Amino acid sequence: MTRYQVLKNAKKSLLAIFLSLFAVAQVFPLLWVASYSLQKSGDLFGPELFSLPTNPVWNNYVRVWFDGKFPQYLTNTLLVVIPSVTLSTLLSFSIAYACTRMQWKLRPVAWFIITIGLTIPIHTTLLPNFIWYNFFGLIDTRIGLIISYVAFSISFNAIIFSGLLAGLPYSMEESAFLDGAKYRHILASIIAPMAATGFATVGVQTFLNHWNEFIMANTYLMSEAKRTLPFSIIRFQGQYSSDYAVQFACMTLVALPPLVLYFIFNRWIVAGITAGAVKG
Amino acid sequence: MYRKIGLFALMLILATTVVFAQGTKESDKGETIVLRMGDNIPDRSTGWGAVIERINKDFIEMHPEVKITTESYQDQAWQEKVKIYATANQLPDVMKYWSFSTLLQPLVDGKFVEPLDMDTFKQYGYMAGALEGNVYNGQLYGIPVSADLWVIYVNKALFEKAGVPLPESWEDIVASVPKFKAQGIIPMVTDGKDGWPLCELFDNIQQRISGSFKPVADAIDRKARYTDDNFLHTARYIQNLVKAGVFQPDLVTSDYGASRNLFGQERAAMYMMGSWEMGLATDPNFSTSFRENLDVIKFPVIEGGKGSHDDLLAWFGGNYIVNAKSEHKDLALEYLEYYAKVFPAYAWETQATFPAQKVEARESDTIVAKKLLDIAADAKTTSGTPGLDRSTAAFKETHQDLMRRLMSNIITPEAFVVELDAAAEKAAK
Amino acid sequence: MQLLKKPQNNQKQRWYVGVVFPYRRLFIELWGFLVKNLFSDKKTIALLSLPSIAVITFAILSPLVVSLYFSFMEFSGFGAATFVGMDNYQQLVLHDGTFYRALGNTFLLMLVTICIQNPIAFMIAAILTKLKDATSRFLRTIYFIPATLSLVVVTKLWVSIFNPGYGFLNKLLQGIGFKNIQIAWLSNPDTALGSVIWIMVWQGFGWALLFYYSGLMTVPKELEEAAKVDGANKFQLYTKIIVPYLLPVIQSVVVIDVISSLKQMEMVYLSTEGGPGDLTQFIAVYLYQKAFRYSEYGYGNAISVIFVILAVFLTVFIQRIFSERSAQSKRVDA
Repeated sequence: MTRYQVLKNAKKSLLAIFLSLFAVAQVFPLLWVASYSLQKSGDLFGPELFSLPTNPVWNNYVRVWFDGKFPQYLTNTLLVVIPSVTLSTLLSFSIAYACTRMQWKLRPVAWFIITIGLTIPIHTTLLPNFIWYNFFGLIDTRIGLIISYVAFSISFNAIIFSGLLAGLPYSMEESAFLDGAKYRHILASIIAPMAATGFATVGVQTFLNHWNEFIMANTYLMSEAKRTLPFSIIRFQGQYSSDYAVQFACMTLVALPPLVLYFIFNRWIVAGITAGAVKG
Repeated sequence: MYRKIGLFALMLILATTVVFAQGTKESDKGETIVLRMGDNIPDRSTGWGAVIERINKDFIEMHPEVKITTESYQDQAWQEKVKIYATANQLPDVMKYWSFSTLLQPLVDGKFVEPLDMDTFKQYGYMAGALEGNVYNGQLYGIPVSADLWVIYVNKALFEKAGVPLPESWEDIVASVPKFKAQGIIPMVTDGKDGWPLCELFDNIQQRISGSFKPVADAIDRKARYTDDNFLHTARYIQNLVKAGVFQPDLVTSDYGASRNLFGQERAAMYMMGSWEMGLATDPNFSTSFRENLDVIKFPVIEGGKGSHDDLLAWFGGNYIVNAKSEHKDLALEYLEYYAKVFPAYAWETQATFPAQKVEARESDTIVAKKLLDIAADAKTTSGTPGLDRSTAAFKETHQDLMRRLMSNIITPEAFVVELDAAAEKAAK
Repeated sequence: MQLLKKPQNNQKQRWYVGVVFPYRRLFIELWGFLVKNLFSDKKTIALLSLPSIAVITFAILSPLVVSLYFSFMEFSGFGAATFVGMDNYQQLVLHDGTFYRALGNTFLLMLVTICIQNPIAFMIAAILTKLKDATSRFLRTIYFIPATLSLVVVTKLWVSIFNPGYGFLNKLLQGIGFKNIQIAWLSNPDTALGSVIWIMVWQGFGWALLFYYSGLMTVPKELEEAAKVDGANKFQLYTKIIVPYLLPVIQSVVVIDVISSLKQMEMVYLSTEGGPGDLTQFIAVYLYQKAFRYSEYGYGNAISVIFVILAVFLTVFIQRIFSERSAQSKRVDA
């Protein structure tokens, strides 16, 4: 091998090591928790650095599933997240379009409202909203939660869409309009596909945020029947405060659905990204 | 064409989920009356939680048309929830709370608590001073459920392993630190994250130094100052305890569950906590060896200090109250009375906690239970409500915050007392 | 419906945008006689914008007004509220050391995120674009995993790892050779802030990576080839051409980083609660504690009003910086 080749191989292996170490740093914490979730609680206090379960205590997961009412929380989360993500995406796309590509006097005002929506911390709105929602009978309802989730995610998603939409040439709408198309067709069939990367990013981000959202769900929901997944970890912390293995099992189980969904939709994101990369 | 079908399908899915998202309103269920309850005891399978479940079951048998739903959170989270509920007028019908002025008084002032009839409850064998702690403006507003004595739980096996005798004084404890550390044992654990146990420590050490609990009440009432010598010595003493390595290294971030766990998993030899944790002796989550070696000792004295072992930091903390705006007040009051009637017997039977009502000692009681009864009986003086709960919520938070800083060595004892006094001054206004 | 006519080629379209964009209004007026109400159709505008505005006003703006109202009051959360004018603000701005520390910590987090996390994410994204598709996809998935986890899980996870007794970190250090190390990472005044910031940076890394990767994939190959022809080496390629090209993406990421640094709450609340002392205090946590723990609701609201003003100011400020930069680079391109 030439010296150049040796250097090149060295660089490649160095790169590989670096990337692998990074991967380990990203994934290891979760693996650590998952591994101890299958052992007995006392094993955590052992002297070993890290141990793999030799006799997996599947019962920990059984306890999470049944005592922790996992399926119920999962259903509740789905019932809240599917509408909220859909609504949020649609609404933010609409307003981003209206604010970047349409002409109207109140446009800067609307956009300012969107920007403000981005900066308000959720925790300031908790108490006033609780009173406000109570007045409308929205406390302990999934709809109330959906409204909150949508409200807090519109701003961010609108900004993402606006970046993408602003750069498109106006000829698109104009030529389609000249061809006699109605506006909603223009939006749905022409503009939207152009913003495909936006939909992918917005969809994934909103989904993850809403799925994992904790503080609003904790404040606005009261009855057991409506609670969402993140609450189960807190509940387990109280109920099984002495049993770390079961708490870890709960954490792992709650972490799984977003992971699985991300693995599935990863392809779409990639496809969306590469499609958008080839303009036109 | 396909696009249209796809769009329609999407709309259908959306519509269905939105409809289901509405959920069913509980009141649609016809004749059932729902009693909403709340407490700070998430574990319903054992200990106190199991006792409540048993009481609930009894009550439902007496009233088949009633359904009981309970929300349980850990202490802090429960207090925050109650504040939110109070603002929106959504308090549960019956709830477990605390009798302190920092917590109960705001609710009483806001007219959220139903007054109770003192004569009805007097007959249920409450200890001296128990009911009085819940009296505001001459009215009884809640029934106490536990007598809270500040003690140290010990794991005798770990003491033997380190070759240390059970301590009589704090000096003994400090001397034993190297022996424990050599065995990889944490000498003492407590809940430092919440901060209030540290405040109890403060009050108790103050008494051991000065010989009286009164200075604390005086400082709150501004008849004395936290900058007085006895308090300064207390602060210094406590900081030295931390520096000597008596407590767990992550004291200020160990929450209640974590510290209890450290003790239960036999990593620590001592656990500074209250008598309500006597259920440790029967907690099935911990090993039998732990439970068999569990014992409890009186709060140690300080050599050269004026306080004795039988000066007890004790108060009546937990109580049950009824929501004044409840729609089922009669049922709620009836529940409360039933609770007062059966709780001591049920709780003592499973050794779940130390009730505020008199109980009969039994042969089968755990060592811990017997010792606690003795400690209560031996007490020559008691403290009443601890300092942090005698004033405003802001004062309590500041006191807790300052204790955490003191015990993380971020603040000097001198600065500590100055700030604590300033907070007391502000709160008194 | 007729299919869209494809623009001629990449170059022409970008030129087109560069010319149209600044003179949008003029251009529209020129086309006005053909497309009279297309971009001003009031019905469409209303339909597109009103739902969003309505939801935001209902769930965000009205509580903000309530917040402003209570910031001038002394209120415990329930019961009576007394008017105190600017007292809360005065106390906050002039006498509250914890507030400034929280502010400092927030800015530190922003700095670490923007100056350390982002460049690393960018570099790794750049490396990933050069790898084989399958490897790249695999690594991207792995790197993104922390971002999919809920904040509760992430925090509890790291609290366990940082635990002095049974946590992985201390065990690792003991295994390497630092016997008897029992650092309480989250309680020790020296390590607490770093540990908390580490958790936040670790969790946010996946998103930065995703954004930069998507951005890098949009860079046209011609650009890189043209640069290579001009004799640029890898370093120059990235710093002088690709980074300026991706300025809008970088801007978005920076704005997101700034806003989420400001909003950090759950991770601190579930781990240190701002302790030891106020060393790991962050604004949103402090706000929450004042409102719900100290029962100083008015004071907590004063904090949040200042918070909002700060956030708006920062966002506008960043957008100003970036739009200057991108205007410069656009002139260079066109």
